[in-house]
Amino acid sequence: MLDIYDRAIKGPIMNEKDFDMEVFIPRLKAVVEKYGIKYDRKNPVPSDDRASDNLFEAAVDFMRQVGVYCKDTNRVMQFTEDEIRQVLREAPGKCFLGEGKDAGVLGMRKPDEPKYPWFHSGTGIAFSSEENMTNMLEECASIAEINSISFPALEHIRGFPSVGGSPAEFYASIRGINIGMQAIKRAGRPGLPVLNLISTAATSRSAIAASAPQFGCRRTDGWLCGTIAEFKLDFGIMTKIAYVHSSGALVGAETAPIMGGYCGGPDGTAVASTAYIIMGLLVHKGNYQLHFPIHFKYSCTTTRDVIWINSVSCQAASRNIPMPVIWDPYCAAGPNTKMFMYETAAYLLSVIPSGAPAFETSHPAKGVMVDGFTPMECKWNVEMGKAASRTKREEANDLVNRLLEKYESRIDNPPTGSKYQECHDMITGKPHEAYVQLYNEVKEELADLGIPFE
Amino acid sequence: MDKKEILENLATAIIEGNKDMARETAQNALRAGINPLEAVDQGLSKGMEVVGAQFESGDSFLPELLMAGGTFSAAMEIIKPAIEANKQQMRKEGKVLLATVKGDLHNIGKDIVGTVMETNGFEVVDIGVDQPTLNIIEAADKNKADIIALSSLMTTTIPNQKELIEVLKEMGIRDKYFVLVGGGPVSQKWADEIGANGYGETAIDAVNISRNLMSGHK
Repeated sequence: MLDIYDRAIKGPIMNEKDFDMEVFIPRLKAVVEKYGIKYDRKNPVPSDDRASDNLFEAAVDFMRQVGVYCKDTNRVMQFTEDEIRQVLREAPGKCFLGEGKDAGVLGMRKPDEPKYPWFHSGTGIAFSSEENMTNMLEECASIAEINSISFPALEHIRGFPSVGGSPAEFYASIRGINIGMQAIKRAGRPGLPVLNLISTAATSRSAIAASAPQFGCRRTDGWLCGTIAEFKLDFGIMTKIAYVHSSGALVGAETAPIMGGYCGGPDGTAVASTAYIIMGLLVHKGNYQLHFPIHFKYSCTTTRDVIWINSVSCQAASRNIPMPVIWDPYCAAGPNTKMFMYETAAYLLSVIPSGAPAFETSHPAKGVMVDGFTPMECKWNVEMGKAASRTKREEANDLVNRLLEKYESRIDNPPTGSKYQECHDMITGKPHEAYVQLYNEVKEELADLGIPFE
Repeated sequence: MDKKEILENLATAIIEGNKDMARETAQNALRAGINPLEAVDQGLSKGMEVVGAQFESGDSFLPELLMAGGTFSAAMEIIKPAIEANKQQMRKEGKVLLATVKGDLHNIGKDIVGTVMETNGFEVVDIGVDQPTLNIIEAADKNKADIIALSSLMTTTIPNQKELIEVLKEMGIRDKYFVLVGGGPVSQKWADEIGANGYGETAIDAVNISRNLMSGHK
């Protein structure tokens, strides 16, 4: 990381607004024009390999022209094209995660490749109580296909809200790890890799403090090290990256270009999305990446334009960038709703046939509802993930269009659904009968649509 | 060029984000003897209304909105001295102190709200992201703000919105400011729970709620 730090203290100086307005926005627009990147709303999952490679070249060009802004030094970290291509040539394209019988290799997939992706259980949202969190985690970890897991964030610790940067955040962070580790042991999967450390810690300071091995984290787990939209870092994030690398653990670059934000529309966001995956290798020197281009207005990843961005940048990356990316969906609708199941199906059909190496099970209710995730959503993601891996891009394109028809008009007013405790028995951990019926009904409906479930 | 055409050109300059055109047309407007306040209300603001509507409907995006905001400011550099020379006053909707709370580095939502409020007649003081509660209150006091608008995008940082309201109460100055809250995990329910004066899901919501508050329709 000292090489990156060196660029952060020696790169050209400019104020942040000038970086946004005079560098990022105009150069992204110019690259979109130069490479003829064009959003195709009728084909949310295209099958054009040449277009994918062109998008990759646009992303390399963009990265070379723009670089990454350091908020602490007001300087731009720049990279030459040779440096970018060397990193891409030398990246291993895989990483080893977990311990014992639960360990695995997260590697690459190509578009239309029928092998299963890596199944990452995305339970990294806020939970109101330790009991709910433990039960939910245990149920999700018990699903045999799950290869890795995220721990939720604890909203409170002994009645104190876990405010970012406070001692309460630190205590909640170590408690969260402790509960999570107990839950995966209870599920009989003690070596299951955890890939979102430290979920409760919003600040790098608390994350590093809670990462000491005596609190339960292992070197075979992954730490998420973020970015600041768009194409910015600060010393806090850089120090966290340096810490994780130095401790011998795995760095997960976390990136989320905002469609409709500084990236502009779908064309620009597709270029930025692909360039962010290059950034994960080049700047974070990440072992894997958690990536979610997201709609700025609806805060979800399942709108038609964002589905297209995900598909095309996933194809560009899986063909050209040896970085195991975990594609991460955010649905507008909450748990225990048909719309959530349609959105998840559309999202997974957009990325898995496009070559996604891995995906995180989708976040209901935009990931912001406390207690808003249940094992049933995890199960649906696994079933849909398997079906999507048996689907080619051309078929997926048709299916996604038909799924979008089912929910697109409700994206700005989605159903909230139910919290975990409202649709599951808290003693047995089993879902209520009504949810099971709704689940089976939607599965049957989508099987009739042509989705190849087992 | 007649008055109608000049005013239309001012609006077009904003819609196209064309600073040169905005400056030139602003000078033409003054030369043609158009009341500078009318140039703002019937020209520049009309253009901003169009851009704002396109932004809300998803037909344009943040770069276009920011370009329009920058173009508005470029034209105002020429028009504002004329307003002052005529001893006229711009319509003041109110003064807003804008910040993202402590522990939260997200700025895009805040920036959008700032631009839209500014181009809708509010004076906006943006003190940035990761702002401790007391910094925000001190800045509101120093700048004589009417409204404190707080952004937060994380479930772990929204408690800081609540903290600010509690500290205002402790200091005995809760009624001095209207407090607006916004951000991904924020909802009307949360705003009611913490005693905020309003919740804006979009930037336009923030403008409308602020106008209502400032006109006494609390």
